[in-house]
Amino acid sequence: MTLWDLTQGTTATVRAFAANMAASHRTRLSDLGFYPGESITCVMAPSLGAPKLYRVNNTVYSLDDSTASMIEID
Amino acid sequence: MQTDSFNVALIGSPNSGKSRLFNRLTGLNQKVANFPGVTVGISSGSSLIDSATHYLDFPGIYSMQAISGEEKLAVDGFYNALQADHLNAVICLVDATRLEKGLIFALQVLEACHRYKKPLLIAANMCDVLEQNTIQFDAQSLATALSVEVLPISGKTGLGLNELSAALATATVPTTPFTVSDNIIASDDSLTHRQAKLLANEYGPKGDLLIRAQTKLDAFFLHSLGGGISFLGIMYLLFQSIFTWAAPAMDAVETVIKLLANAVIPLVPAGMASDFVADALFGGIGAFLVFVPQIFVLTLVVGILEDSGYLARAAVICHKPLRLFGLTGKSFVPMLSSVACAIPGIYAARTVDSPRKRWLTYLAIPLMPCSARLPVYTLLIAVFIPTQKALGGLVGWQGLVMFGIYVFGIICALLVTAVVSRSSAQLHADLPFVLEMPPYRLPSWRPLLRNAWNRSQHFVTRAGKIIFIVTMVIWVLGYFPNQGVSLANSWLGAIGQWIEPIFSPFGLDWKYGVAILTSFLAREVFVGTLGTLFGIEDANENFASLTQQIQDSGLPLGSGLALLVFFSIALQCVSTLAVLAKETESWRLPAQLFVSYSLLAYAAALLTYHLVGFLV
Repeated sequence: MTLWDLTQGTTATVRAFAANMAASHRTRLSDLGFYPGESITCVMAPSLGAPKLYRVNNTVYSLDDSTASMIEID
Repeated sequence: MQTDSFNVALIGSPNSGKSRLFNRLTGLNQKVANFPGVTVGISSGSSLIDSATHYLDFPGIYSMQAISGEEKLAVDGFYNALQADHLNAVICLVDATRLEKGLIFALQVLEACHRYKKPLLIAANMCDVLEQNTIQFDAQSLATALSVEVLPISGKTGLGLNELSAALATATVPTTPFTVSDNIIASDDSLTHRQAKLLANEYGPKGDLLIRAQTKLDAFFLHSLGGGISFLGIMYLLFQSIFTWAAPAMDAVETVIKLLANAVIPLVPAGMASDFVADALFGGIGAFLVFVPQIFVLTLVVGILEDSGYLARAAVICHKPLRLFGLTGKSFVPMLSSVACAIPGIYAARTVDSPRKRWLTYLAIPLMPCSARLPVYTLLIAVFIPTQKALGGLVGWQGLVMFGIYVFGIICALLVTAVVSRSSAQLHADLPFVLEMPPYRLPSWRPLLRNAWNRSQHFVTRAGKIIFIVTMVIWVLGYFPNQGVSLANSWLGAIGQWIEPIFSPFGLDWKYGVAILTSFLAREVFVGTLGTLFGIEDANENFASLTQQIQDSGLPLGSGLALLVFFSIALQCVSTLAVLAKETESWRLPAQLFVSYSLLAYAAALLTYHLVGFLV
């Protein structure tokens, strides 16, 4: 299951990054709080496949499917 | 860096309010925006509180580990400053309302300051918002835990700025990072982000009042119905602002230049000097000053959208469809702006933080159907397209063709970015689409107005010079050797006749060649030049006469449609090229675009000519 599968209002814990994710992208996501062990809440899943909004602590980020689907969750 | 001043580096992550704080501290005209990646380059200015203090404003960065070329420049710049003897202190700015995110970065800065023995202060910004909502933040305990002074401030209201300024003199070099005595840190592993989380949970603001308010507004602005309607309404206002609100100011600029010209020209001896002042000097100045109101208005409106937090939401709405063409949601506003004029569109592309996506947006902008193409389209459609109605009288053929050529330009822009993005995967660094959703807030008018003024000034002083020089060259070529008596017999006319073989394959003679050459100044000049060559005074006013003359000249339909297609693709605009060169700090991209779009326009025009010849 990946972060993109998370439905609006649900929370999950980051397990790992996909093996084929670029190292630079992992670094950036980790710097923003998307690191293994952190809990992430999907606060909004707009229609028509638009990027979803995820809350990490007190900050909200928008991730598109290509990025969110590279983050594996429990 | 000034050797006789107390130099202070100001660093922070995007959306921490750094530019606003820098404005407040120095009174300088820095851009303040509620959107990542606004500060470009390193700005500096003396403190308003203590003139002996000199601030250096570094670009907002998320991490000391850069993942793009631009970030690397900023990080390297900061490390270079840390190694300089003249740097006396560092202020790391964090957003107190979103402390964990700020602390992840602050801990990296703390480590760097420790390594290079530079005193550090942490300024916790936006404490006015915490005060308004009676949310507590234990800055003192956080300072103890970090062994670095932490000062609650507000770049917006000025809260705590005197204290921040005073504290600079006593700021200390951080002790060994991550070995502070607090058990909270000692009990955790060494990962910076875990430490930041623990520190934020222990000392940071409690509760999620602010984020719940933000989410409620997001529920409206990103709702499929409410969000869609508000998006269309806001974008309509943006579009109107460039077309309608800027129009009176543009007319005023033209009128003032005309009045000045009328006052000055009689004082100049008649003949070449008078022609030079009238056509080259005032014509040249008018050619670029007329863009200033549009740039000012668009910069102001985009600034309001950024500062209010809406632009990030608009990027979310547009992202999915634009991604199909290799672009990002952030490309939408620059592209929409370019339907009015490419120049403000190029400036608006600064908001695209991914270098690769910004580059692709630059490729799309010149193909968007800008308003300067309108007079050319209007003339050619009036010449070739009948006034009869189509679809049972519902729409006119002329309107349909105008709509079609506009859509053609947009499709060309999207196709080019789609093809280029798929065939140049390795060119320019890309960033993942992770867009911080800034809190909604009321824009600050003064910095926004100052920024719009600065952007206009930047255009006049930087791009204006190039536009002016090219205008002069075209004037000289059109005036000599017969002292402006006849454009047809000028050097420009000779060049037009010399290049006639280039345009003759789609049925155009030398007159159109000359008009295409002069339209490089601005596309609408095409109409005026043709008018001159067909012997019509003020062709823009006597449109019908020029239309009749071209019809009588027997220009075939295929040639007219080929010209339409040529103008919808060719980058016939010196102002666009000059601004693009200034924004990318190189003539490489403008030169590449000029050549490739000219060739593409030529090929498409030739194809159109033969296709029409085959069908009709």
